[in-house]
Amino acid sequence: MSKRKRADPKLSGRDPNEAHEKKLLDMIRSKQGAGATMYELKGDKTIPPTMFTRLVQSLKKKGLIKEIPTMNNKGHKHFLAMEFEPDKELTGGEWYIDGTLDVSKIEDLKAKCVMILERHRHRVVTLDVMCGYFVKEEKLSVDQTKEILKNLVLDNQIMEVKSNGLNEFASTRIGEVCYKLTGKKSGNGEARGGAFASIPCGACPHIGLCTPDGVISPTTCVYFQKWLEF
Amino acid sequence: MTSNLRVRTTVEYIIYKLKSLNFTIKPASGHLSPAKANYKTTKSVLMDNTEYGIVYAVHIITVQFGSVVSKVCECLLRRGPLSSRDISRLAESEISHNQVKDILYLLIQHNCVQAFSIEPPDGSESKAVVQYLVLFNNILHRVRYNKFSRVVNEELGRECGIVLDGLLSNGRLTLGQLIERDRDSEKIGEIVIRGSLQKLVAAHFVERIPSPEPVLGNKEQEPAKKKGSKAAKILKEPETLEERVLEAAIPVEAIRFPHVFVQDSNSSIADNDSNADNDSNADNDSNITEGKRKERDVDLSDPSNEVIWRPNFEEFIRRLRHKACVEIVKERRDEGCAIVLRAMLEVGRSQEKKVKTDKSVPMSVGSIYEEVITTIPGRTMLQERVEACLDQLSATSSYLPAFVIEVDGSYIVDFKAIISIAQKDEIEAVVMRRYGKEAFRMFRYLTMEGRFVETDRIADAALTEKKDTPQILLKMWQDGYLHMQKFAVTGGTGYTPPFLLWKVNKLIVTRQMLDEMYHASLNLSLRLTHELESEKELLLLSNKKDVVLEGAYEERLIKIKAKRLLLSSTRFRLDDALMLFANF
Repeated sequence: MSKRKRADPKLSGRDPNEAHEKKLLDMIRSKQGAGATMYELKGDKTIPPTMFTRLVQSLKKKGLIKEIPTMNNKGHKHFLAMEFEPDKELTGGEWYIDGTLDVSKIEDLKAKCVMILERHRHRVVTLDVMCGYFVKEEKLSVDQTKEILKNLVLDNQIMEVKSNGLNEFASTRIGEVCYKLTGKKSGNGEARGGAFASIPCGACPHIGLCTPDGVISPTTCVYFQKWLEF
Repeated sequence: MTSNLRVRTTVEYIIYKLKSLNFTIKPASGHLSPAKANYKTTKSVLMDNTEYGIVYAVHIITVQFGSVVSKVCECLLRRGPLSSRDISRLAESEISHNQVKDILYLLIQHNCVQAFSIEPPDGSESKAVVQYLVLFNNILHRVRYNKFSRVVNEELGRECGIVLDGLLSNGRLTLGQLIERDRDSEKIGEIVIRGSLQKLVAAHFVERIPSPEPVLGNKEQEPAKKKGSKAAKILKEPETLEERVLEAAIPVEAIRFPHVFVQDSNSSIADNDSNADNDSNADNDSNITEGKRKERDVDLSDPSNEVIWRPNFEEFIRRLRHKACVEIVKERRDEGCAIVLRAMLEVGRSQEKKVKTDKSVPMSVGSIYEEVITTIPGRTMLQERVEACLDQLSATSSYLPAFVIEVDGSYIVDFKAIISIAQKDEIEAVVMRRYGKEAFRMFRYLTMEGRFVETDRIADAALTEKKDTPQILLKMWQDGYLHMQKFAVTGGTGYTPPFLLWKVNKLIVTRQMLDEMYHASLNLSLRLTHELESEKELLLLSNKKDVVLEGAYEERLIKIKAKRLLLSSTRFRLDDALMLFANF
């Protein structure tokens, strides 16, 4: 019985996996910043299924591809060609570090923003001034600065106003977007506390289950009990 | 229209994005939260009486008139207008027909029910059946009598307040009855009562009672109006049955609020024209049309007939609405703006036709200034300052809308903007307290956008963790605070979860808030009753003059009094907030 002689790689002059590797790399490159998951790669039936893991490892060793964890599911890896940066969908965006929102940084920037508005002479700061500070001092992009300001507007801590060139807006162009603090500090009124929110029923997660004679009722309610403790 | 376009843009963007990835898209139906799945956004269901609204109204009637009356009231609230026979048949407990009639007369006397009938079709021999319509808002007004009384006491003085209190506690009275009542209690004198009543009528706080049983024209008989005809545009037909009945029942302005009224103060208590006391009258009236009713009303002004008076809730609600607007402006702007707005409301009030007016009539700076300087706080204000306040009131920002609109040098009060800012504060305060800061940001973002937005975009805008965002949104959706639209994605490789789009539907949120506020008012009232019941003996003891409570008893008494004060004042404030959603 004659044994078939294994082909000597040195003699053939060409790696037999090279063609598959190239195909896999092209496939990953075509996905650009979105990257490809192992499941998507295995969709290619021209490459034997058993070879995928070895080929991916080989490409990684050669420094041609990189592995990026998905923000939504850290166990779910995406493969990207080395020359591409991962998309926002994968990383979550500029505010995410290793798939986690950098809350402390955001809160820190928001506090700085409020401080600038509090210390300003007229307590009115234009968007340009804000962007100038954050781009220079905090190395943020203009879009990021806008996002921080928008977030503070959503928090109801600051308000966005268009300058009318009068009084406190005297030093700004008419129609320029400016930011002001809300509340008494900047001479504005404050949002109402909310009559409904200030009673136990307003904050009660079980209000839908509460009935006059039910298991949860106003006469047996623990929240009422606590509220009426004097 | 714009919002629809925006929705389409978002949806088209997603469709485009997915189609480029070889996906096929199947739009699923809109998803209301499980609790709110039966909500429709038609005008008919957007009435003020939500499920807990009905329970609360029934509770008010039970406390004030007893459980039998409340059964009749609940039957009418749940089933709509019914005849007295139908009520005795459908009311849950066995109540005889005569009992039902007595209860209905009582409720009519207290302005909680209005009788009416519908004209039978031409040629039909059947007699028009008298039906009874429960006035939901008038039942709720019963817990606001202190507020109404305060308005009159502040504006017209104590004597007018006493006369109004008589009307509020008795529902409807003639001048003779008011004088008779005075002899047994306050003793302010016949002349004072007459003068006070005249003042109350002149200020529209008191009105002549409406027609006891208006006859509505048969809708099917009315000829079809030409499309786009001028008349159809000018005369807008009232939409709900309640509006139709009330419009038909209320007499013309000159009769409703007569300038001169000579009364026979010694006339009998019974009023021949009141259907409350005379059933045969109802039968006689049942065949007259609306036009004839107006003629009959003119006859009523004959001084030989004793006129029956009742409080005009519409005017009280208008005054409270104006007061609330001034308070909101004072909180959100400043004292000066509040003074200017108060003056504007005073100038435009006589022109307001209905309570829920969106905008006032245009007013010149001169007329506003003239009114400002007639008030004590406004006396020191210069016209320049008034103009500056008007500029301030017309300014807009992301924080506040314009409260006043400037049109060709005239100024219009935007009631809707002022009320909606207070409603927004109430809703956002609940969202903040119940769901937290992240949810608050998301809710505000969706309110500002006013269209459907995808989950990830919401997370980006609110800067919240993308993994946590769907859970927070789902929580709000389950409680009816958000509207959700699901987009199922099929095709491509593997399973792709559906896209979820979210939106704040103001109508649904407002209705949800209103229902929960009615529920909370009911809870506060029940809890107060429970607390007072548990310390009933102690409270009875404390009322006795010769008993002095000491030590632990005194402590308990202080506690129960504090609880009573807290629960009552909270209910009072909650009712102010409730009116923002239901009445303003």
